[in-house]
Amino acid sequence: MDTVMDRVVSWFARLVFVFLYIPIIAVVVYSFNASEVSYRFTGLTTRWYGELFHDERLLETLRTSAIVGLLAGLAATAIGFLTAFALVRYRVRGRAFFLGAILIPLIVPEIVLGVSLLTIFSTAGIPNGLLTMVLGHIVITLPLATLVPMGAMAALDPSLSEAATDLGATGWITFRRVLFPLLRPSILAAFLLSFTTSFSNIVISTFTSGVGTTTLPLRIYSTLKTGLTPELNALGTLLVLFTLLVIALVGVQQMRRILASTN
Amino acid sequence: MSASTAPAQAGRALRAPARGTLLGYLMLLPAVAVIVLLVIVPMAVIARQSFALSDPLLGGDVGGFTWANYTKLLDPVYAKTMGYSLAMAALNAVVCLVVGYAVAFYIATRPASRQPVLLMLVIIPFLTDFLVRSFAWITLLGSGGPYVKLARLLGFDASSLVPSQFAVVMSLLYAFLPVAVFPIYAAMRSIDPSLREAAADLGAGWWQTHRRVYIPLSASGIGSSVMLTFVPTLGVFVIPVLLGGGKDPLVGNLIVTLFTEFRNEPLGAAMSMVVLILMLLSVAVVAGLLRLLSNRKAA
Repeated sequence: MDTVMDRVVSWFARLVFVFLYIPIIAVVVYSFNASEVSYRFTGLTTRWYGELFHDERLLETLRTSAIVGLLAGLAATAIGFLTAFALVRYRVRGRAFFLGAILIPLIVPEIVLGVSLLTIFSTAGIPNGLLTMVLGHIVITLPLATLVPMGAMAALDPSLSEAATDLGATGWITFRRVLFPLLRPSILAAFLLSFTTSFSNIVISTFTSGVGTTTLPLRIYSTLKTGLTPELNALGTLLVLFTLLVIALVGVQQMRRILASTN
Repeated sequence: MSASTAPAQAGRALRAPARGTLLGYLMLLPAVAVIVLLVIVPMAVIARQSFALSDPLLGGDVGGFTWANYTKLLDPVYAKTMGYSLAMAALNAVVCLVVGYAVAFYIATRPASRQPVLLMLVIIPFLTDFLVRSFAWITLLGSGGPYVKLARLLGFDASSLVPSQFAVVMSLLYAFLPVAVFPIYAAMRSIDPSLREAAADLGAGWWQTHRRVYIPLSASGIGSSVMLTFVPTLGVFVIPVLLGGGKDPLVGNLIVTLFTEFRNEPLGAAMSMVVLILMLLSVAVVAGLLRLLSNRKAA
């Protein structure tokens, strides 16, 4: 029953999948390009990876990004889990209101959040640095860190906590022995996605970074303004690998549930 | 169907005995603190600052109340950027919608076992670092790159497309396409495939099947898709600089420049407020259209 139009759409969609991977493949291929000039392909080399690991300034920004991502990711995951648990488990008044409030950072343009944070920090006399950046990254990762465990809690079998109660488990024991172990994968997913979001953020970072807290994306961006280097392709390849690693750790099932819950 | 009943069921299950409500509020406290102190209060401060006077020499906010920042945005320099940004955001939303709809329809109509794989293929580029995704196009479209070589091979006289508006549109589509696919796919997934057969049996052609069945039933996804591409495009500031050569800035570029280089915070704040208002307007328009559509469905 497929019409000609159906076939046209199918082929178009297949082409779009190709389109999605062309740039990623290009970054990987060009990272092994022997030529100094990024666009002329002259042969294979692993030289740029070597240079990458000796670039002290770049490694410093990598460290900063990792620290910020770790701190913001952990904080957002903890706060998000508490929020999700309170919204699902307790009869709090104004559930929809609270959930709506948590989702504000998803809707408000990031650039507006960025300038707002810059202004409030300078008004409060907090100098831009590690603290301001971590706080800024908590804001943008919190919605995700709340939605992911909420989705997992929604997928839990209703009879589990009833059974635990019937068997005489108190609230805390039910949580520790039944609910928490079942929710652990979603907590890991929330952390990994928060870490990744923070690690690659550029808008909020632009407004909250201070002296000595340049992150990797900020450094890549300023380097790119003067031109693309083969070293950046090598770095890009490592970031692509990092993405694949995160997806593998989070897992396909979890990923689908997350996408379903964000709607 | 199942998507809306599942959370309700879990809510009942997890909520077991209705006690310790105080504990629930305590658990919400950290999140409320973050949202109030780091989102609501800062945005209120920005709103106030957009009416403040700025020191022409030192910059910054020197208090007072004026509409001057907003009237200054009507100045051709700023109005041009505003118009260009809106046009670019609208173009990107439309292109993402059309391409995203086709991809979402393709995924949703594959056998159930293959859908997760295809969805995964859309997720991988989406989670890849934004900057990596953007600078890849410099290699691909730049001078001496694959695009130029291929075009010359085919006998065209091509030159570097970086910087160009085409490169900007291309990489905007690339950056936002996955975001456009997800909500439409999520809405289409719950459409019964037999509806398509029924439509065909009743003599509906390809276009009619979409217009009368698929588009109305996935309207909420289409709405989210447009909003998730239109508003964020206004805030983009990396792509116009890297692929457009910085000649045609978007509002995002202007806000960054006003805050970090010119130190004209009140003017930057006014511009941010305009972006925020545009966001609210687009939410209202999309919500209104959806209501109109569901009323028509009910009628």
